[in-house]
Amino acid sequence: MIKATNLSKSYGNNRAVDNLDFEVRDGVVTGFLGPNGSGKSTTMRLIMGLDHPTSGSVTLDGRRFHDLKWPLREVGALLEAKAVHPGRSARMHLLALAQTNAISKHRVDEVLELVGLTAVAHRRAGKFSLGMSQRLGIASALLGDPKTLLFDEPINGLDPEGILWVRNLLRSLADEGRTIFVSSHLMSEMAQTATDLVVIGRGHLIADTTVEQFIASNTEATVRVRAPEADKLSGILQAAGARIHPEPDGGLLVTNLDAPQIGDLAWANGVALHELSPQMASLEEVFMELTSDAVEYHGSTTAGAAQ
Amino acid sequence: MTAVETPVATPPAPQPAGRAGFRLETVSEWTKLRSIRSTWICLAIIVVLSIGLSALVCFAQAKHWTVACGDRLTFDPVSASQIGALLSQFVVGVLGALVITSEYATGLIRTTFATVPRRTTVLGAKALVVSVVILVVSEITIFISFLVGQSVLTAMGGKVYPSAAAFEAKVAPFVGRHLSSCPTIPMSRLPIPVANFSTPGALRALILGGIYLTILTLVAVGFGVILRHTAGTISLFVGVLLILPLLIQLLPSNWSGPIAKYLPNGLGQAMTSPNGLNYDGNPLMSPWTALVILVIYVVVVLGVGATLLNRRDA
Ligand SMILES: Nc1ncnc2c1ncn2[C@@H]1O[C@H](COP(=O)(O)OP(=O)(O)OP(=O)(O)O)[C@@H](O)[C@H]1O
Ligand SMILES: [Mg+2]
Repeated sequence: MIKATNLSKSYGNNRAVDNLDFEVRDGVVTGFLGPNGSGKSTTMRLIMGLDHPTSGSVTLDGRRFHDLKWPLREVGALLEAKAVHPGRSARMHLLALAQTNAISKHRVDEVLELVGLTAVAHRRAGKFSLGMSQRLGIASALLGDPKTLLFDEPINGLDPEGILWVRNLLRSLADEGRTIFVSSHLMSEMAQTATDLVVIGRGHLIADTTVEQFIASNTEATVRVRAPEADKLSGILQAAGARIHPEPDGGLLVTNLDAPQIGDLAWANGVALHELSPQMASLEEVFMELTSDAVEYHGSTTAGAAQ
Repeated sequence: MTAVETPVATPPAPQPAGRAGFRLETVSEWTKLRSIRSTWICLAIIVVLSIGLSALVCFAQAKHWTVACGDRLTFDPVSASQIGALLSQFVVGVLGALVITSEYATGLIRTTFATVPRRTTVLGAKALVVSVVILVVSEITIFISFLVGQSVLTAMGGKVYPSAAAFEAKVAPFVGRHLSSCPTIPMSRLPIPVANFSTPGALRALILGGIYLTILTLVAVGFGVILRHTAGTISLFVGVLLILPLLIQLLPSNWSGPIAKYLPNGLGQAMTSPNGLNYDGNPLMSPWTALVILVIYVVVVLGVGATLLNRRDA
């Protein structure tokens, strides 16, 4: 379990991470979402003891990273894919990492196989594509077979097959009871992979919840209605408390009333309906709206932990 | 690229005793150092440059022996065979700097600290590995340079004088003469001196030469930790060794002399001179004092580096 308590980090006057409180549970994939520059990478560096927090703390199963006896065997992290000496082969890179934590050569070959880099293990890592570098980074995170794994945007630069592979890998790692914390700015990707969500915007916590709850509580039900007598229907629905957004093609987007209520009202008032379809706002839209102004949306968070 | 769908379900193995500490980090740093080509290129340059230049300098000195009259009074066969080794101080600086700065250039340093969070341990292991490599390579190179240089001098007609006094006695008749009236004395009448291991101070100068290069490597490591950029680190290193002495020369001589001898290259000169004299025949600081001062410098530089390393974000 990863636990952040009042975690803050400032670079000069720039508060990159602001008073974060969250927990990452064992056994599920936890997505870490936020737009560019919201402080995801900074938070991950704080977890790994690489940056010193301005205030607050973060622990891994109750211990600070700095106090771990065998860091690589307890926490694996992919922070920057290109963090490899360009002149060193993938295998020697992994071997050097393995040696620090008394991990065998055999395990090095095993993780190379696992990420599909065996064939290029002796090539200079500087010549690797972004996707191959990403795989090498994942290999280094898995090297110590750690209980806790952090991935900063692991699907960056991966082809569709690679993305699917990472998704399955993350889930299977979580199924083994590990703590998996994976950042992304793609809400849709997280919706497919993660069970839990930590959402931040401008360094603030926006939500610490499950994907399901997040969707349920943040997606406003909208119903698309089409009727020959659109104006008449609008009046009736508005009188019943609905909000109407007319669409250019003559359709109406109705919020605040659900589909059965609209259908009943139309029937009662003798208005014919040609379409009555509940809409889900795309997760991406919700996420963008939510993070576009982190402060304004504080009141409506499910966790309510920030500030 | 095909991803292999092997399950990772290896149950967490029981952890060994001990911790990810200095010993293992040293093994890892050795793997890192030997697995990149630039290390071997730097080492090859040190060997080739040192031995080649030594042979060349000794050859040139012997070749011009009959005309370079003034040189006869101060010619030191040990130093002549070490000029190449001294020039390789810039190469060891590059190697020392890269050990640190190449990891900052790529962000690898953060991966390193994620495997061994104790940064002083990492710095210590890096410093140990690169300095042992430089010490071994430079001592071997220096001894080979010495043997090659002396062989060249011998082949050109030089000889080992039984003592410095014996050579001085041979030279005495010419000392004090105006250089322009310096007679042409052939090598056969006044052979160029050749050193061997029993030449006073020779062995000490050779051994301290390798130690000097090793300490300079560590200075570059320290500069690297402080600056974290390859170009900046190498510039600072070259600046201290090459530019600073030149700038000091611009000061009035009663200032420049005392300051210059405390600069790293001045200390290096004192450490590597077999006879305690500089190229102009003036007395130098004791080699042991120079060694102690240089060690103090490197301890300070590495200490500042380690403090910053622990205090700053990686
Ligand atoms: N080392 C640093 N020095 C100064 N400012 C920094 C540093 N690292 C990050 N920042 C700043 O902190 C803020 C958060 O950056 P961070 O990289 O954590 O965001 P992110 O969520 O990872 O963004 P992205 O999605 O683009 O990766 C940004 O404003 C960034 O400019
Ligand atoms: Mg980032």
